[in-house]
Parts: sequence; structure tokens; C-alpha cells
Amino acid sequence: MKEKTPSPTTETPALDRRSLLIGSALGAATSVGAMTTADAATKSHASHPQHAHGTSQSHTHQRQGAFLNDDDYATIIAFTERLMPGASGKPGAKDANVANYIDLALSGAYTDQQYFYRQGLEALEKHCQAQYKKSFMFLTVAQQDAVLAAMDENKAAGFTWPTAKAFFEKLRLHTIEGLFSDPVYGGNKDFAGWKLVGFPGAQPFFTEEDMKSGKPFTREPIIGMQQSQARTRKG
Amino acid sequence: MAKIKTEVVIVGAGAAGAILAAELCKVGMKVVALERGPKLKTIDFNPHDELRFFQRQDTRPDPKKSVVTWRFNTNMKSQPLNSMSYGNQVGGGTVHYGALSWRNHEDDFRVRSATVERYGETFLPEGSDVTDWPISYADLEPFYDKAEYDLGVSGRAGNINGQKIAGGNVFEAPRKREYPMPPLRTDVASDTFDKATKNLGLHPFISPRAILSEPYKDRPGCTYCGFCQTFGCHVGAKSSTLVNKIPEAEETKNFTVITGAMCHRVNTDSAGKATGVSFYGPDGSDNQVEADLVILAPFVYDNVRLLMLSKTSLHQNGLSNSSGLLGKGLMTHIRPSVFVAFDDKKMNIYMGPNAQRHSIDDYNADNFNHKDLGFIRGGQISIGTAGQQGGPMGAAINMVPPPGIPRYGAAYRDWYAKYFASHMSIGLQIEDLPYRNQTIDLDPDVRDAWGLPAPRITYDWRRPNELKSVAFLTKKIEEIGKAMNAKYVWMGDRAQPGAPGGHHTGGTRMGTRPDNSVVNKYCQSWDISNLFVVGSSTFPTMSGYNSTLTIEAQAYFVADAIIKRYRQAPGPLV
Repeated sequence: MKEKTPSPTTETPALDRRSLLIGSALGAATSVGAMTTADAATKSHASHPQHAHGTSQSHTHQRQGAFLNDDDYATIIAFTERLMPGASGKPGAKDANVANYIDLALSGAYTDQQYFYRQGLEALEKHCQAQYKKSFMFLTVAQQDAVLAAMDENKAAGFTWPTAKAFFEKLRLHTIEGLFSDPVYGGNKDFAGWKLVGFPGAQPFFTEEDMKSGKPFTREPIIGMQQSQARTRKG
Repeated sequence: MAKIKTEVVIVGAGAAGAILAAELCKVGMKVVALERGPKLKTIDFNPHDELRFFQRQDTRPDPKKSVVTWRFNTNMKSQPLNSMSYGNQVGGGTVHYGALSWRNHEDDFRVRSATVERYGETFLPEGSDVTDWPISYADLEPFYDKAEYDLGVSGRAGNINGQKIAGGNVFEAPRKREYPMPPLRTDVASDTFDKATKNLGLHPFISPRAILSEPYKDRPGCTYCGFCQTFGCHVGAKSSTLVNKIPEAEETKNFTVITGAMCHRVNTDSAGKATGVSFYGPDGSDNQVEADLVILAPFVYDNVRLLMLSKTSLHQNGLSNSSGLLGKGLMTHIRPSVFVAFDDKKMNIYMGPNAQRHSIDDYNADNFNHKDLGFIRGGQISIGTAGQQGGPMGAAINMVPPPGIPRYGAAYRDWYAKYFASHMSIGLQIEDLPYRNQTIDLDPDVRDAWGLPAPRITYDWRRPNELKSVAFLTKKIEEIGKAMNAKYVWMGDRAQPGAPGGHHTGGTRMGTRPDNSVVNKYCQSWDISNLFVVGSSTFPTMSGYNSTLTIEAQAYFVADAIIKRYRQAPGPLV
């Protein structure tokens, strides 16, 4: 496999892997147009000097999983963000910590899918190197979207098992799971996914008035499992 | 290896098994029930967890362990199904089901006769094996009544002793009295469906469900939390046999339920009588229960598979298979759907019990004239969610966006953010006819986690009758969608050819004679009189309705026959 190299358009040379990872995790890609993800990452961690040395995990992007390596983790962050991009007032995959959900699931409930991910990620890298001579995370947003479209249509070269379509569908499915599952599973950070769609979480009841309103349900708080379990413990 | 002796052994402690256990225990019979899954408690359902209970299917069998395979036809190699929709715990499917509780129509019990009387013999679809049930609606009515009152069903009658009642289902078979509880609340979605279907001249009504609309028999009423279908109820308001019949059986002290018990054989003696069953324990041990009476009550798959696995030199084609019909006539509902989404109001369909909340019955059974349509039977139409239950994960997975909206990216995000809380799904479940080459048998190539041959389904719903029925009924749900003044009305993608859906029926058909069926009308094996096989596998035809209440009524009916007749004089009841 070819060595991944930072984009030649990047102003800052020699981005180290960890800082790219963290920068990319900070949600900067959402603000870019033709800018590369790597550019965005650079700018992002420049504006967050506490992460410049890449020595600590971001508080806003806790990582709990134990399966994906740093490259693969960064790839998953970038890929899932294109599936469900964030924007101002609209939390996306990165805001919801979807990659963390996936890494945590692959370390636990989905250990049987580790090989599927390994093979899929390797094929994705092969495809991006053949097509663009860069890793997925260093592509422009437009290029990344072209990769997604080719995979969705099962036309992306480089894939055998899983097929490009199968890997795409798995990532889409796991992005949905990470966006909308309870935060105890590592995604849906601060209820990002639920806020996006106006879902109030695990409410213990709804009133007749709630059910007849025809309006957005806004009663606070959004309820997750941790609160609901805490309430039960108190009796 | 443990050896247990008892009077009655029941395989499967679900809808049918739990009712039979409680009824038999109450008259003093000693019952041991074997359940493959665990025994959960109401507190286990307190964390409302869409990932665990909906997506990861915690209350259902693990398809990697309890493997079931499927193929279109005998020329194809089978492939494993990747999800299961039946239950895997004490209480069975009644723990996680949507709790729809229908009484079959009168003509659902006599499909062949009703069709011939109205349209003539030539109208019967070629190749189908439609027949009458050996029992009528009138036979089962007292037991439907018992099920509704004993278990707890909420609804509004539409026909009491022939008197039609507006607001109830005017197409329902006559009942003797009102439901034990008033119907559940309606919501914006059901009200919208109600109005649109009325405008089309149809007859909407709130669906009867085994969910308490008010406190009943020491259980609380529904809180409308919305974590209902695919979830266990966190307050015990869903009338699962886990919270009504199992405690009742336990109170008698005549009942033992063994969990983690995978039954793999019905044992028979040299005279051909059943002597009990063998089961694998969770530790892999092979154990036996010796019993005078064996009742099989697992899901359709295992009713068929167990009888096939238990073959002996006396029963070379499997137990209770002298007719050669074991495993034949499998049916499942065909379920296309139409989605609608609104700009001007929120449906908030995640509130309240999710499934089939409001219905029309105008296009079900023989409730409409088929004379010029070229097909028989129909389907049940109702309003609900896109994802079986109401959460945003289920809807995102199951709801393809309307044409023109991509499935990912910023445009999808914006569309889903705007319409998740204002979508609903018009669901259709179409009656599938029985065909002899629509079957369950033992897969010669695939084994499950216990080393047993997987049940193999050979199934393709695309028969001439079903294709016409799907086309006609799908147009009807599109018309209903269009009558709602929604922003988007579009087809879901579920009427694709493919694997069998939910609500399996058939495989151990009941009938009037040993040569036309596997069991008699009491679900008693024609060949082995101390072996009963209950549940929807005995249904000769399936109806457009969900089958649980009919399974439950049947269980009371069978219990009644065992208590009043069989117990006094064990032997053939017919």
C-alpha cells in the first residue's frame, strides 16, 4: 500500500497523524468548499492551540473504541461526515461522534464485523490512491463525494469483498446507528442526532395534548438512558 | 443429563404456550415449559433503547445462532435470513409485538366455500391450496372473547350481535359484547388517516390492541411512551403473556419453566406414542422430559422442524406426517407501504403505540367485490411508522426518501431533519394464499448453533393471484396518501420480490381428515393422539390480519378440549 502523503496544497508541511486526526475530528470540514480536509484540519487545530501538539484527546471528541487504528479512524470520521455532514445549527456525524460509536461497536458488539471493515477500508484506500493518488481523508470534499457516489453505485474499482456497495451501505447504516442511538453507545453526542430531527429521546410518557398538538415537541429535557436509569435508582 | 418427569410438557412459552400452561395448571395438571430464550422482567425494559431492542433485535432470535434459510425455489441454493421477527423469550413474540389483536372475519375461516359461493368454483386461483378451516368463527367466538377479557385488549366494537356500530370496525365478525376496555388514544397521525379515508368513503376505526387503555387486573394503563413495537413494555401495560399468563401459571405451583432450553426432538415409543422431548441446556447438556402429553407451541419454523427431526422407523417422514403435508402451505404477509410527509403539521409518530394504530378493513378478506378484479382475498390497511417503531433510527433505516432526495449528504440531512417528525407510513399487509410448493423443510447444507439442520424456507410470493392483489391494493394506499394533502406521497420499497416477511402461518395445517391435514381442529396430531401442535402453523389460510389473537383464542380452545375431554379419556378427540 502506498504511503499516505499530505496534500501538496497544504500550507503546513508534515502534518502528523495524530494532529490530523484531532483536527479532522473538530468538525472543520463542514466549513470548506474546495478546501481540502487536510487544509481544514490544519486551520482547525491552528485555531485550537491546545491540540496543536496532538498530545491529548479533544474534550469534544472523546474516543473510547479500541479497534480502528488512527488512519482508519480518521478515514471513518471523514467518510461518515460526508454521509451526514454537519452545518451551522445542524449537527452532523462528526458532531455526534459517529466514528467513536463505530469504533466502540467494532470493539464490542460488532467484533464479527472487524474483518469486513479492515477489507473495506483497505479497498477504499486502494481506490482513492488509484483514482486521486491520495488517501480519502486528504481528498477535497467534491472528490470525497465522488468516491461515495461511485461506491453507492457499486462502480468504485478496488473493491472485491466487501463490494463497494456493501461497504457503503454498512457505513451508512452504522452512521445512522451512531447518530440516533443513545449516547451510552458512544455516538449521538449531546443528543446531536436527536436534536437534528426533533426527537425528545426516551420520554416515559406523552399526554393527550402532546399527541394531538401537530406541533414540534419542545418540552425539556431530552431524556437519555443515563438519566432514566439514575431516576430509577432514586426510586 | 437431566431427566424430568411431568404430566404435560410444552415447547415454547409464548402466546400459545403460556396460555395453555396457565389453563392446564389451574385445573391441577403439572406442566413443564421449555423456552429457548431467557425470562425477562418488566424492569429489563426500562431503558428505552432503540439500538438494542429495535436494531440489534434483543428480544428476537439471533439469526446467526437460530439460523433460518430461504430460497426462491427448489432450483436455487438457500441463503440465511439476516433478521428474525418472532420472539425469543418467555412470553415469545407478545413481549415485543405491536399488540394488534384481531378476530378473523367469518370468511377467513371458510375461504374456499366463501369464494365458491360468491364467484363460482372457477374463481379459485390455480395452483393454490385454499381450503376451509375445520373450525368456524362461531366455534372460536367464545374463546376470542375469553382472550380479550383475560389478557386485556382495548378497542371499540363495530358489530355486536349483528348490530353495526359506527367508529368501530363495521366489517368485523359479530361479537357478543364490547371490548373490556375503551380504545387507546388517537393522535394526529390517526386523525389524519381517519379524515382522509372517510373522505374516500371508507370506514376507518381505531385498531384493537392488547395494550391497556386504563388500569386493568392490577396492571397500569399505557403511558404512550412510544417504545412499543420491538420493545418490551416498561410498565407492563402491553398484554404480553409474560405479564399475565406466566404469573398466573406460576401461582398454581404446578408450573415450571426451563429457560435456555433448546428442544431438538420429540421422543416416541415403539407403539408410536409420544413419550416426551429432548432438549439441549445452555451448558450443552442433552436432557429429557418425560411426559404423558406433549404440546408443541414454538414459532412456525420449529413446529415444522421438530416434527421433521423426530422421525423414526414408524414415522419415516417425520412425526404427524402421514398426510405428507408437513411443512407445506407456508404463508407470510406481503407488506408494501406508502410514505407521506407534511409541511404544515407534525405527526410526532414516535408518540404512543406505533404499529397499525388506525385502520380500514374495506379492502381486507372478501369485504369488497372481487368479481372483476381477477384475484381473491385482500389486505389490512393501517397507519403507522416507517420503521416498525417510532424512533429516528428505525425511520432512517426503513424510509427511503422521496424521489429526487438523495440517501445521504447535506440534502438528505436537511430532508430528514425536516420530515422525521412529520412522516407516517400507510401500511398494507396482504393475505398470501397457501401453495403446496411454498414450504419449510430441513436445510441439507446449513446447521444452526446447536448443530441442528436449519429450517429452510422455499418461498416466492409472486403468484398470479398475489401479483394482482398487490397491484390493486398498492393503488389503494397511494390513493389514501394522496387524499391527505401531504407535501410528499411516495412508495416505500417493500413490495419487492424477496425473503418472507413477518407473520408466518401454515406448515402444520389443521383439517377435517388425516389425509388433508397434519392436525385436527383441536390441534391434535392425527397420527399421535398425545401430541398437540398449536399456533399459527396450523392455519390453513392466513387472513390479512395479524394472527396473535387467533393463536391465543386457539390456545384457550385447545386447553378447553384437553381439560374437558382429553384429560378424562386420553385419545383422539375427532
